[in-house]
Amino acid sequence: MLEVSATANRQAASELGTSLKTSSGSTFGRRARLAFYNKSFKLICIACAVFVCIILFSILFLMGRTGILTFQHVSPAEFFFSTEWVPENEQYGGLVFIFGTFALTALTMLIAMPLSILIAVFLAEMTPGWLRTMLRPVLDLLVGIPSVVYGFLGMTLLIPLLRDVTGTTMGDGLLAAAIVLTIMVLPTISRISDDAITAVPKKYRDASYALGATRFHTIFRVVLPAAKSGMMYAGILGMARAIGETMAVVMVIGNTPQLADSLFKPTSVLTSNIVMQIANVPFDSTWNYALYLMGFLLLIISLVMIVLIRFIQRKGVRG
Amino acid sequence: MSTNQPTVNNPFASSRKNGNRIKNVLFTTLVWGVGICTIIFIIGLLFLILEKGMPKLSFDFLIGIPDEIMEGGGIGPALFNSFYVLIISLIISIPLGMAAGIYLSEFAPDNKFIGFIRICVEGLASVPSIIFGLFGIVIFVETFDIGLTIIGGAVSLAFLNLPVLTRVTEEAMRAVPQEMKHASFALGGTHLQTIRRVLIPVALNGIITGICLVAGRAFGESAVIILTAGVTTSGEMWDFNLFSPGETLAVHLWYVQSEAIVPDATEIAEKAAAVLVFIVLLINLVFRIPLWMNNRKMSTK
Amino acid sequence: MKMKWFKTLAFTTLALAVMATAIPVASAASKLSGKIVINGSSALLPLTLQAAKEFKKANPKVKISASAAGSITGPQSVRKGIADIGAVDWDASTDVPGFKKFEGQVAHKVAVIPFAAVVNKNVGVDNLTTKQLQDIFSGKVKNWKDVGGSDAAIVVVNRAFGSGTRVNFQIKALNGTDFMSKGDNYKEVKSSGDMKTAVETTPNAIGYIDLVYVTSKMKALKINDVAPTEANVINGKYKVWGYGYYMTKGQPTGAVKAFIQYVQSKEFQNGSLKKLKFIPISAMK
Repeated sequence: MLEVSATANRQAASELGTSLKTSSGSTFGRRARLAFYNKSFKLICIACAVFVCIILFSILFLMGRTGILTFQHVSPAEFFFSTEWVPENEQYGGLVFIFGTFALTALTMLIAMPLSILIAVFLAEMTPGWLRTMLRPVLDLLVGIPSVVYGFLGMTLLIPLLRDVTGTTMGDGLLAAAIVLTIMVLPTISRISDDAITAVPKKYRDASYALGATRFHTIFRVVLPAAKSGMMYAGILGMARAIGETMAVVMVIGNTPQLADSLFKPTSVLTSNIVMQIANVPFDSTWNYALYLMGFLLLIISLVMIVLIRFIQRKGVRG
Repeated sequence: MSTNQPTVNNPFASSRKNGNRIKNVLFTTLVWGVGICTIIFIIGLLFLILEKGMPKLSFDFLIGIPDEIMEGGGIGPALFNSFYVLIISLIISIPLGMAAGIYLSEFAPDNKFIGFIRICVEGLASVPSIIFGLFGIVIFVETFDIGLTIIGGAVSLAFLNLPVLTRVTEEAMRAVPQEMKHASFALGGTHLQTIRRVLIPVALNGIITGICLVAGRAFGESAVIILTAGVTTSGEMWDFNLFSPGETLAVHLWYVQSEAIVPDATEIAEKAAAVLVFIVLLINLVFRIPLWMNNRKMSTK
Repeated sequence: MKMKWFKTLAFTTLALAVMATAIPVASAASKLSGKIVINGSSALLPLTLQAAKEFKKANPKVKISASAAGSITGPQSVRKGIADIGAVDWDASTDVPGFKKFEGQVAHKVAVIPFAAVVNKNVGVDNLTTKQLQDIFSGKVKNWKDVGGSDAAIVVVNRAFGSGTRVNFQIKALNGTDFMSKGDNYKEVKSSGDMKTAVETTPNAIGYIDLVYVTSKMKALKINDVAPTEANVINGKYKVWGYGYYMTKGQPTGAVKAFIQYVQSKEFQNGSLKKLKFIPISAMK
């Protein structure tokens, strides 16, 4: 904690120093001073970047240290490949949750990504200016709605609706969770993609139009490829949030440790299982360790997914 | 940009022209359709939330002390804590996040190590909030033994926000045209001066978007705060003590929705949700108005 | 000078924060002072919050912070030393299904909590026997027509393992029979509020909840022909109730002791506690 505020203060102090510098006299070498500021600023920046990594690793360490204890009692094969999660009977199979997390994330991105890109294109390329200045803050607003509210709306509006439309008895399950998640990540993805599209220099578009391309062509062949990196990053952030979201998912997914063979079967994902049970298990039990291991796994899954996407992206650029 | 109408009578008309035009029209319709649906959806959602709570709002509710038995309890201390926790967490995370973002976009050589840091940042962004909460417990409750406090909640929240701020800053700085940077260097500006006087001002729009996203998320976050700052307030308004328990409005909303026994719990929940949404809108405005004014000043000059 | 407002803002907030930190932690002056951290059962949270509020009025120098996660968190936090009082829905100094007892902790009864089996309004059943409840919650009976209702699949809503309500319901209403843990029409919820919402909005749903939370939008079932009312709990006919406990490490001292005494006092038990619709401990024999 002390370290945090110290870095923050130093950062502010360096800002102060640099802004005073212009008005103070040239008592000692201006060039040396500038070089010094430059260097210390760079150091501070590096320190901050490293600090972010340190946080991640402390969290990884914390989760891993506790999680690894699971394997004292449970074989890795059982944890990763068994679907039987009955901790009361010492059965700790995590496959249901791992599968659920992948399925839910994939389903969410499948719905959210095209939709967000369309919204971003709409915002950046098609809306008149006044509508844009109004819409952007409103989209940001969706991020600020507490997940509890989303969950509550999902439970009281979405699930009854799904029940009516599909004729299932319950309505809880992957689809309900994916829809709620889509609404939650939509603003993140579309706003950042929007910024990326807006940042594409106007001359690209002018050139494209001058060559006689239609708007469709301009957007698909010129603007979107140019904004690809930004959109990719928006997607990663959105996906990251979808993987990690808890409070809303837990209210609509049903929380039953069974493999989802349909979109409407109550199931469970890593986050929802952690959140449901972490407060209710004895500290020094295999059960608790298994939950920490799930948290650790969740981190690893998202890290792997990020690396994978980066890899694909680089390949795509080369090819 | 939107005023750029595609040239319909282009001289390179070929047999593909018709197909292109249909595609173009289809695409435009689709995008407009999705856009309009989104607008309707957002307005509907906001209406749903605000319509239930807003009309019943009163000033007493905003500054009143919560009540467990009687109807008519307020949200005063929780509302205050929300702002207090948010401001502290932003004070911590904005400089840290921006500095890290500047490093990634400006100083970092393009090597494996940086790729690694970038993955770390994105990885941290995907850590579920409950894990930040557990992390906060280990640091503040177990290691420092200060109990459930505002400062504990604020710092954990800052950690949560850090990666998003970092990446948004980096992305915004990268989007600044290279020409501007080169021009500054050519005029003899040092790297620091270039960043401060050219890059940050130009990238400010993107950075502000990031701050708004983060502030909104922080304002609505409950899992972290429940674990690190508790579900109580000190019971009085304007308690600046960093070591008081720090229930925020979002946590209060969670509590009222899930456990409270007060007869008007549903009403309090509706009102609290409306207030939350309203404030997030307000935060967005407050951050943006200076930007708009700046833009206007720049354009009139 | 685009950055000016931004800088001013940054500095003002920084200055504010410094000022705030400078304000000292309340200095002790009254006869009773100290810090009480309470954690544990969320079902007891309203009671704890109300008691804390009243207690702080009388003893302004005592700082009380409360949080809630789940019953088991209470005694565990006490054992770890991160909480002074652990609120729990069962006597954690003895063994209960699923949880071992906590050595060296003292249990203090603070309230009587009745529970009720509840169903959605559309369910035509008013009364279930213990056997029928056991069959439904263990997944043997899957259709309402088997227990005297209309032909519709039963949707079972359960609390997560470790919930105090679940432990009590399992012991008192199901005589210890195990719950089902999966099925097409089975879900678990996280809190009393979620249970309330789920049963209210899901047709053919059955669940159980603290009597306090039963609303007019759901139906509380009679169990073995006894209605879940306060009177029936006190006269001993309705068996599905439990005590709420505060756990402490050894015998409490100082502010913690005073706080627990306050919660157990006649003044609080017959006043606020009753208003919160718990039943005073003195009412039970």
